[in-house]
Amino acid sequence: MSQATTDALLEVEDLRVAFAVGGREIRAVDGVSYRVEPGQTLAIIGESGSGKTVGCRAIMGLLPAAAMISGSARLRGSELIGLSDAQLRKHRGSDLAMVFQDPARSLNPTMRVGAQITEAIRTHRKLGKPQAKAEAVELLRLVRIPAPDRRFHEYPHQLSGGMRQRVMIAIALACRPKLLIADEATTALDVTTQAQIMELMLELQAELGMSLLFISHDLGLAASYADEVVVMYAGKIVEQAPAGKLFGAGGTVRMRYTRALLDAIPHIERAAHTELPVVSGRPPDPADLPPGCSFAPRCAHAADDCLAKAPALAEHSPGHSWACWHPCENGVAP
Amino acid sequence: MAAQLPDMTTTLAPGAAPALPSLVSARQLRGQRVARALRLWVPAAILVALFFLCFVWPYVYPIPSGTVGSILAAQEPPFSPGHWLGTDPVGVDVFAMLVYGGQVAFEVGFAVTAIGMVIGGLIGLAAGYFGGWTDTVLSRIIDVLIAFPALVLALAVAEVLQPSELHLIWALSVFSVPAFARVTRGSTLVVRQLPFIQAARLSGTRNWRIIIKHVLPNVLPGIISFSLIGVGIVVILEGALDFLGLGIQQPKPSWGAMIARGQTVLTAQPEYVLIPSIVLLIFVMALNLLGDALRERWGVR
Amino acid sequence: MSTETAADDKRPLLSVRDLVQEFVVREGGGTRAGVVQAVSGVSFDIRPGETLGIVGETGSGKSTLARAILQSPRPKSGTVSFRGSELTRLRGRQLLAARRNLQFVFQDPFGSLDPKWQVRSIIEEPLIAYAAGDRQARRKRVDELLDLVGLDPARYAKRHPRELSGGQAQRIAIARAVALEPDLLICDEAVSSLDVLIQAQVLNLFEKLRRELGLSYLFIAHDLALVKQVSDRVGVMYLGKFCEVGPGESVYRQPLHPYTRALLDSIPSTEPGAGRKTTTLRGEPPSPVSPPSGCRFRTRCPRAADRCAAEVPEPRELFPGHQVACHFPLTEPADPAAAAQATATHTTATAPG
Repeated sequence: MSQATTDALLEVEDLRVAFAVGGREIRAVDGVSYRVEPGQTLAIIGESGSGKTVGCRAIMGLLPAAAMISGSARLRGSELIGLSDAQLRKHRGSDLAMVFQDPARSLNPTMRVGAQITEAIRTHRKLGKPQAKAEAVELLRLVRIPAPDRRFHEYPHQLSGGMRQRVMIAIALACRPKLLIADEATTALDVTTQAQIMELMLELQAELGMSLLFISHDLGLAASYADEVVVMYAGKIVEQAPAGKLFGAGGTVRMRYTRALLDAIPHIERAAHTELPVVSGRPPDPADLPPGCSFAPRCAHAADDCLAKAPALAEHSPGHSWACWHPCENGVAP
Repeated sequence: MAAQLPDMTTTLAPGAAPALPSLVSARQLRGQRVARALRLWVPAAILVALFFLCFVWPYVYPIPSGTVGSILAAQEPPFSPGHWLGTDPVGVDVFAMLVYGGQVAFEVGFAVTAIGMVIGGLIGLAAGYFGGWTDTVLSRIIDVLIAFPALVLALAVAEVLQPSELHLIWALSVFSVPAFARVTRGSTLVVRQLPFIQAARLSGTRNWRIIIKHVLPNVLPGIISFSLIGVGIVVILEGALDFLGLGIQQPKPSWGAMIARGQTVLTAQPEYVLIPSIVLLIFVMALNLLGDALRERWGVR
Repeated sequence: MSTETAADDKRPLLSVRDLVQEFVVREGGGTRAGVVQAVSGVSFDIRPGETLGIVGETGSGKSTLARAILQSPRPKSGTVSFRGSELTRLRGRQLLAARRNLQFVFQDPFGSLDPKWQVRSIIEEPLIAYAAGDRQARRKRVDELLDLVGLDPARYAKRHPRELSGGQAQRIAIARAVALEPDLLICDEAVSSLDVLIQAQVLNLFEKLRRELGLSYLFIAHDLALVKQVSDRVGVMYLGKFCEVGPGESVYRQPLHPYTRALLDSIPSTEPGAGRKTTTLRGEPPSPVSPPSGCRFRTRCPRAADRCAAEVPEPRELFPGHQVACHFPLTEPADPAAAAQATATHTTATAPG
């Protein structure tokens, strides 16, 4: 996987994003590289401020003009960074599509749901109105919305959160993209609805032969649904491995931050009132990153070298990369 | 997978990640900081300078008095010796008129705005915080006041009262009070819903204390930046009233009256209109820009 | 659901019976579109020193329940007895006095702090409102409270909320809430908007306060694992009613209500591939304006039968302290007619792989 093959669907290399705000430089994404293979599910996990969302928006060209972006993101060989809006529009929808967190705000409340889907269809394909409508109803059926003909005419506020998210997915799939990016797409949903939507996305992925890149703060989602997991902290990737290598029996988490995340998640098997292993402090200010490892100020196992120099992300074990001077020895989940 | 940058070939320990250079130049960051500061201090400085000119200067330097001698020779163009902005057709020095007119502008502008802020603000706070019947009654009163067409009311007031600066202030307050009441009520409605107000109630704090200590400080930044724009509007309204002959009467000058008198000779001697207009423009723009900069600082939307 | 057992010799700290809260839904123009009964007859007790966790999804009514207990706004009907006083009948000063020992922590850590106030004033506010000591005593207490929540008074007392992180802001809110040494703390999604690592810090703080101050909690969240970890007993709400209430371990190991089972199955676990569970709940939550007749969960329940539509299930105790409101709880076989109907229409995902 670390060979420089050219058959990856999305290849991101050294992506960096910075903003100048109030006279300070905010390093949102600080040198991130990863690949998404065709048909693969990649999860990017991080807390707020880790740069996970900014990185993907940079790829889609959705950042404000004031953002400074460097690095490369190649979709089947063609470079996406630095393209103009008109050029990107050719890729958006047909090659890659994005589903956002808050369906209430991503859908136009004054337009009927069906109209929003047909609009997406007709932007990329030359279809007449009746064909576009038929296609839209098919899409609604594809995302498992019951009574799609009726729903076609409804407004977003008449649908529940889960249904609105399905509509968002339908819009995203309008032109059968090769890569679907889901940016915290289930965070605002109830847990039962979240499970439904994740199942749906995986089924669609299999049916349509898509790759899925989902961004979340929830390690559990990554463990349950992803093939490959990337963990980000303070704008950098700190650990990357297939899900099977990280979680569950036989899983070894190496980087201290990933270990801390795993330990801090409420596990239902834990007895009530157990004291959680706590990491003090908070993520570094992206305008003022520490010189060494970004996690070192909070890490219980930090040594002098951790504070002095930043470890590079390297593949220390086949398929499993991490950036840590003193990784966990045997990081088995409790 | 460490990125190798050509100009960073210092001796790195194996496995260490090189520090990546800035994407944003230091010059760009400095420029941002400077621009932000300028946006606040330049208009503030202009206003302070105008204030100084109108209120302090007359006590320090002698204002040129009018020309003496024959009325036929009274009028002098700008840059004449002793009268650097010239004199008007009857010999009164233009610069003197600007200075005294400016006093009127400041006085009327800030007085009307202050009255509006205090009275209108109280009405708006009460209506917004208590809601219900209080809000309904107060809002209807405000609506009635706003419904009056501005100049018609001013005309009426001018007919009833003798035109003078004080009466002008009362007349214009009829507009500023409902304007401030509306704005304050809107802000209060928003702030009232915020969780910290409910938290204050749950902490046991009484209503009046919540209004003064919680609602007011949060509503104030918006009111203050609105008030700066308000001063500008009032000065323009005052100018319009003077122009119509309803405001300040001769011989006391005002910028609006100067513009009015100047229009008769607009084509021949445009400076009599241009000079007060430019000063008025600078004054109002400085107020607006200062209001914008303060809004930016205080995060008012 | 009453949770007093024979062995309970302490009077419950909080006793809620048949609580109902409604609000009117209006159309854009202000006309009445309907009435939503957000809380429909909820009853429970909290004993001193106990943490009751309430878990529910959107529309379950859990947040409305919390506010109804506080009487802001007052519930439509039902009783709320706190330390022996009936809160629904108290007004003005009396309500204020009774509520002194009942405090609240909000979901949005920054929203609940006045951005214009200093941290010290924020924490001092309840002390001033209840006239707890003179200025010097209050200041001392504020410093004590800051220490209690793990923030150095010298560094934090004079700050403003915008200079704090989410976790620090929530600690200030907690410090304010415990300033008057309340008996019961209601936490409404108090950690839901915090990052995982910070969330763990704040949860540990709750535990510390529980131990050191003997606090009882009513902990409301949508995350079942979180609620179970923090609570002694767990109540599951759906559309305004309790489905199941019982000791946390019991509810987890032996869920009785199909909704509880569905919630447990939906939790993404950190076992790879385990996410492909056998039952994902079908359908959408019904409209709260006109909930289904009988059992409200029946439209999404794989075990629903005719009886579920006809009759509202009453809570009954199947295990010690563990009650369920269901005609066909998971320990009993489903109605055979329902089973046939359910297999025809319910979604099963692919087997775990």
